[in-house]
Amino acid sequence: MASAETGSIAAAASSAARHARFIGPSKEYWRIAVRGAVLLMATLGLYRFWLATDIRRFLWANTEIGGESLEYSGTALELLQGFLFAVALVLPVYTAFTITVLDLGAFGSFLSTSAVLLLVFMSQYGIFLARRYRLTRTVFRGLRFHQSGSGILYSICAVWWWGWTVLTLGFAYPFTRAALERFKMKHTWYGDLQGRFEGSGWRLFIRGFLMWLLVLVPLLATAGALLSINWSAVMTALRGGGDVVQRVEKASPGFLGQLGFGIVAFAVTLAMVALLLPAFHAMVMRWWIGGIRFGTIVVTSHLRTRDVYFAYLRFIGLLIAFIIVLMIGVFFGLVFLGAFTQDGSLLSEFLTVAMMVGTYVVFMLGLITLYNAVVTLSVWRLTADSIELSDPQALGHVKAAGVASSPLGEGIADVLNLGGI
Amino acid sequence: MTGLIDVGRTSDAVYFDGATSAHHDVTLELNDYAVVIFDLTGELIDQWPYLRLKHLSAPAHVFRIGLRKSDNLARLEITDQDMAHAIDVACPDIDRTGASASKARRRAIALSFLAAVSLFAVAFYGVPVLADRLAQYVPLGIERRLGSAADMQVRAMLDKGPRERPFECGEATTEQTGRAAFQKLMARLQAAGDLKLPLRAAVIRREEANAIALPGGHVYVFKGLIDQAENIDEVAGVIAHELGHVANRDGTRAIMQATGLSLIFGILLGDFVGGGAVVLASESLLKSAYSREAESRADDYAVRTMQQAGGDPRSLARFLGRIAGKARTRSIFVDHPATPDRVSRINAIAPPQSAGATLLDAAEWRALKRICAGYP
Repeated sequence: MASAETGSIAAAASSAARHARFIGPSKEYWRIAVRGAVLLMATLGLYRFWLATDIRRFLWANTEIGGESLEYSGTALELLQGFLFAVALVLPVYTAFTITVLDLGAFGSFLSTSAVLLLVFMSQYGIFLARRYRLTRTVFRGLRFHQSGSGILYSICAVWWWGWTVLTLGFAYPFTRAALERFKMKHTWYGDLQGRFEGSGWRLFIRGFLMWLLVLVPLLATAGALLSINWSAVMTALRGGGDVVQRVEKASPGFLGQLGFGIVAFAVTLAMVALLLPAFHAMVMRWWIGGIRFGTIVVTSHLRTRDVYFAYLRFIGLLIAFIIVLMIGVFFGLVFLGAFTQDGSLLSEFLTVAMMVGTYVVFMLGLITLYNAVVTLSVWRLTADSIELSDPQALGHVKAAGVASSPLGEGIADVLNLGGI
Repeated sequence: MTGLIDVGRTSDAVYFDGATSAHHDVTLELNDYAVVIFDLTGELIDQWPYLRLKHLSAPAHVFRIGLRKSDNLARLEITDQDMAHAIDVACPDIDRTGASASKARRRAIALSFLAAVSLFAVAFYGVPVLADRLAQYVPLGIERRLGSAADMQVRAMLDKGPRERPFECGEATTEQTGRAAFQKLMARLQAAGDLKLPLRAAVIRREEANAIALPGGHVYVFKGLIDQAENIDEVAGVIAHELGHVANRDGTRAIMQATGLSLIFGILLGDFVGGGAVVLASESLLKSAYSREAESRADDYAVRTMQQAGGDPRSLARFLGRIAGKARTRSIFVDHPATPDRVSRINAIAPPQSAGATLLDAAEWRALKRICAGYP
């Protein structure tokens, strides 16, 4: 009897040791996110350092791997400091760029081209350094993660691969992801335990090929239809009154048919993206988790596509409710404006503009807050709960290594508007 | 102080030593100045003084502590809530309820809010002043380069005539006398306004009653302006206003103001989703405000210059009143002050004077009227 009990406890313990899970209450996350959105507005974005820190603390602390939770030890002041450093670093480039754009000489245009290129490299450099910052602020079982490797090398590698992805309309995406994940994971360490990435670009390619075709074919059809129209002739024909349709049809034969086909094809593209996005999200997540290795530890994920679809559906439902509430608010705002201000006065113009801008900001912040609180949090939770480790005992024999890195990379990513969690 | 410490309390805990990732089950005991850590055989592992403890983020049911000002990431994880409370009480810097953390947070929020407000104030008051000061130090060479870039764009935008027709008036033989009159007028105004910067003024074939000044001393007087003017002082008044923009270096100033604004709003503030709209609205609002101010200053300059040159300073007001009509449309997004406001302002500072033909004589004025007559 006693031995059976011990046995089942041991089995439960070993099952906990092999799995990850997320134990954070959604309510807490909603509180952080909604308060954050309001304060972002009040401080015109300066609150972002505190919001990012709060969200990371919450996500890390409530993610358990093999029964032990992660800890995020970074602070908002570090992020602010990194941001100020990065401003000092990026400012000269930015200033040079502004001046050369105004100066249209050949040298000026050369300089401004190289400034744009420099910003592209800097953004990838910033992304790599920001990852280093987040890893070194991640504490697990009394040891920190860290990242080796050169940010410059990474930025060259990333620009090369993303360039191919863009040029091939996404065909190279799986190989880009695989190459960059290999680079990042090879330089990722938990103490003295080195990570690596074994996910194969070809495997992701095969899994995603059909999705790619389903989006690409209608997209190419759209482009084909729009390109077959003689736009300069149409523009000329559009000027002036009279029978515009007939003139346009004469200038570019088959105009209406081509335009209609283009619009339908584009609508199909958008519908395909909307329908496939959750499946794509789940597929890439499974592939990415399944490729992660630390020493002898093999990670797998059983994330179910169906669950990700439910998360997206919940997001859409809440979004519709949010839009309805917002519209009611705008209606009452307009009624108030009409009742209490004189039409055509400067005050009424100012209030109208302020309300338009305010509505837009509330809508966008609401949209992103809903997305984070529903989709991001759900996928994080579902992913964490779906993870299984092959050799969890190995996590108990790691030695400390690595030191805390500077928050500069986060700052660069922030200055170039690439911040994320 | 010691009275608050629950000396002798013990509990189980999990300990990570910071050197390896090994999980140690330990027993804690509180003494009068530290948390004492024993392994399960009763062997002493370490002592953590209350004054060095810091509270770390963890799931809700775990009280996680580490050592302050240390590179060692050793951690104690306590699930016994009574023990967590006892340590919280014993250690002045730990607040499990987060009361002092949220106080610090509120201070940070208040400071960020003030920072946002003060950056707005800088954008509203500081940027124009700074641009005023700095514009004086921009070398003329750079300003001329900026000007020729702007010049190319303006020409491409305004020159819609046939290719063989010159854009500037005064080239054809029939236009030569008009050109001489224009040059005389410009020289007199430049001397009267004490304008040291080199000018490149020309009359261009556009039907609107308008004139523009670009950085680097480019001044374009539209044909429509000369057509609609009833006497030479009206033309001179508008040109003197444009010379005011040149003298105040308003083109360079506007570029510096725009750069300053996009720096404040683009980099420091507004970096959140939807912030772009706030940035756009604030920038165009402030730019219009700066521009209205520059227009008023150019009007002041025109009045002074016309007085100095012996013309009628009020003719600018008369001309503005006639071509713009009486519509009093004020808007926060318009870059010129409302015309009635400009008219009354000019009349307030300019002494009444009869419109004279002192700037150009009657023959010269007739010639100027025909400066664009060479091409239909």
